[in-house]
Amino acid sequence: MNAIFPTPDAAGSERLLTPDELEAALRDIGAKRYHILHPFHRLLHDGKLSKDQVRAWALNRYYYQAMIPIKDAAVLARMHDAELRRVWRQRIVDHDGDAPGDGGIERWLKLAEGVGFGRDYVLSTRGILSATKFAVEAYVHFVSERTLLEAIASSLTEMFSPTIISERVAGMLKNYDFITKDTLAYFDKRLTQAPRDADFALDYVKTHATTPELQRRAMDALTFKCNVLWVQLDALYFAYVAPGMVPPDAWQPGVGLVAEAATQAAGPRKTVPGDIPRLPRGVRLRHDETRGKTVLLAPERTFDLDDNAVAVLKLVDGVRTVSGIADELAKVYAADPRAIEADICAMLDGLADKRVLER
Amino acid sequence: MNAQTPIRPEAPAPVGLLAELTHRCPLRCPYCSNPLELDRRSGELDTATWQRVLTEAAGLGVLHVHLSGGEPTARNDIVEITKTCADLGLYSNLITSGVGGALDKLQALYDAGLDHVQLSVQGVDAQNAEKIGGLKNAQPQKMVFAAKVVELGLPLTLNSVIHRGNIHEVEGFIDLAVKLGAKRLEVAHTQYYGWAYVNRAALMPNKAQVDESIRIVEAARERLKGQLVIDLVVPDYYAKYPKACAGGWGRKLMNVTPQGKVLPCHAAETIPNLEFWHVTEHSLGEIWRDSPAFTAYRGTDWMQEPCRSCDRREKDWGGCRCQALALAGDATATDPACSLSTLHAKVRALAVEEAAETPPDYVYRTIGSNIRSPLKEGTPS
Repeated sequence: MNAIFPTPDAAGSERLLTPDELEAALRDIGAKRYHILHPFHRLLHDGKLSKDQVRAWALNRYYYQAMIPIKDAAVLARMHDAELRRVWRQRIVDHDGDAPGDGGIERWLKLAEGVGFGRDYVLSTRGILSATKFAVEAYVHFVSERTLLEAIASSLTEMFSPTIISERVAGMLKNYDFITKDTLAYFDKRLTQAPRDADFALDYVKTHATTPELQRRAMDALTFKCNVLWVQLDALYFAYVAPGMVPPDAWQPGVGLVAEAATQAAGPRKTVPGDIPRLPRGVRLRHDETRGKTVLLAPERTFDLDDNAVAVLKLVDGVRTVSGIADELAKVYAADPRAIEADICAMLDGLADKRVLER
Repeated sequence: MNAQTPIRPEAPAPVGLLAELTHRCPLRCPYCSNPLELDRRSGELDTATWQRVLTEAAGLGVLHVHLSGGEPTARNDIVEITKTCADLGLYSNLITSGVGGALDKLQALYDAGLDHVQLSVQGVDAQNAEKIGGLKNAQPQKMVFAAKVVELGLPLTLNSVIHRGNIHEVEGFIDLAVKLGAKRLEVAHTQYYGWAYVNRAALMPNKAQVDESIRIVEAARERLKGQLVIDLVVPDYYAKYPKACAGGWGRKLMNVTPQGKVLPCHAAETIPNLEFWHVTEHSLGEIWRDSPAFTAYRGTDWMQEPCRSCDRREKDWGGCRCQALALAGDATATDPACSLSTLHAKVRALAVEEAAETPPDYVYRTIGSNIRSPLKEGTPS
């Protein structure tokens, strides 16, 4: 084995790594496990999420943001060196601000408000996925219970965050008409804060991980942290993308929004491949035996459908995404699913504009 | 085809049935589409008969059933009837005032499988709305009812009948629909039959008001695309071409009255000498195909000029027969709402004249009133 450990699991070597080798090994963990690689982030950055899916992300991620100062206070409480505390406490200031209306949490609230949430609803943390809470709280426990080295090493995901932030900001501004530069102000600060924090933490880990065992623990800690971030996206994907199983107490589209956003929720936005279309109550696909065709029954009107529309609507079940529907039809018609996808989006847009389809 | 058989246009399968379950209603709107002689409770069809009618309707190809009245929730069996629709796969649309027993029955109607609610709103300002509807405290009840419909997740349509007493509130109706979470809004200018014909002078707006209301609706449609669908029914008297009344006589819709008389449209009884059949005496299929009332103006054979040779004859089917009778004195005439009718200018002048005068008081709808349609008396039968 060479010195670059793909994952700590494979770090069978008992050899002490040089500080640079350790850094390379830590960076390799990020290259393989950082949540930038998660399918949910790909959808987010490529503009393939619906407004409600972006909302779900913003809401859940708030819980993580809100717990970061608590996590850092726990780390701080374990530091016996005033020099170290002076540096570390800056993280708490960054997140909480020096005054009301300032700081990273506040900026995240602005982001949540920017996508339509009422501030109080976000602050209440009602509607946040339990999986999000479990993951975030596991992080707080981890830094309290493990060694200070592990606690600091677990923060090293910040090494990777500038990349994800630039991708995210560019992608979201380009792809979502409801996202503005102001909404994303949180990330502006993080672009400078994160590298500063990461440099310090990396130096600390490189200096203090002085045995193969400590180095392995540092790598394990970073892997753990990558997983804390990863599973949050797993949970979001599972609840809000596919199969779309929203737990009973979790946020549902339409809830917790300010009135204006709630009424604009179904606005004339375009259907995207990540959308999960469904027919609301009062809209039914029905076979009309008398006329030998399938029609869509809706409030005070009947839509005549062509064969393609019938094929699509038969797959609209509130579970499948547009992409999923396109994939199924592509199999049947031996066509390119991405080409079909565009046609489906256009058709569904027409129905959504008439308020007989939701997504 | 046998030469002796009179050739009758084929009856297309009906798509909709308007079930006027009762004429009883807590409201007294002066433009009510019910006839002047309202059916009394004692003569109403029973539950089993309605269920048979619905079953026959489903067999004929009817897709939509409009549960209407009067106030349909005034019937004790409204939930049962709704359930029958659901069991038959019929799309059920409750056309309600939202007052009286409507709210109490809503949850049960939802559970029975109701598909859609159309709620009437007489005005935006409560005082004005209650003056038009002739019932105190109706407006708050309607608001509570609307909120409950939306809360249940049922699609809600607001229906606003527009006339000179509320035409200044069109923008307000749109805002109200958005605020209540309605998916559809009907901005329906009054059609002058039945009680509305009696009250025409009190209801007729002027042309400038009508144009402004159309402008407001068109702007709102653009602004609220994807949020609120707005259907606009323009007033006939100011139109260029008439509407295809009920989608064409005997082509799409039928109307069953509380006593079981089957009409091609809800005003058809104003036409004298038409023979209507009852569901208690004939099957719905027989009535649809063969009853004299349905065959009278089905297709285009009955038409006079200018309809007979007109390119639009299968678009608007000559317009409304009842209006032709009311305004031209002949049910086979071209609807005078049509600009091609020789009477069109006169009809429009009449509207302009009435709209310019101080509106008379409303003649409120009441069961057992002695109001007789002026046109019925003046028309030779």
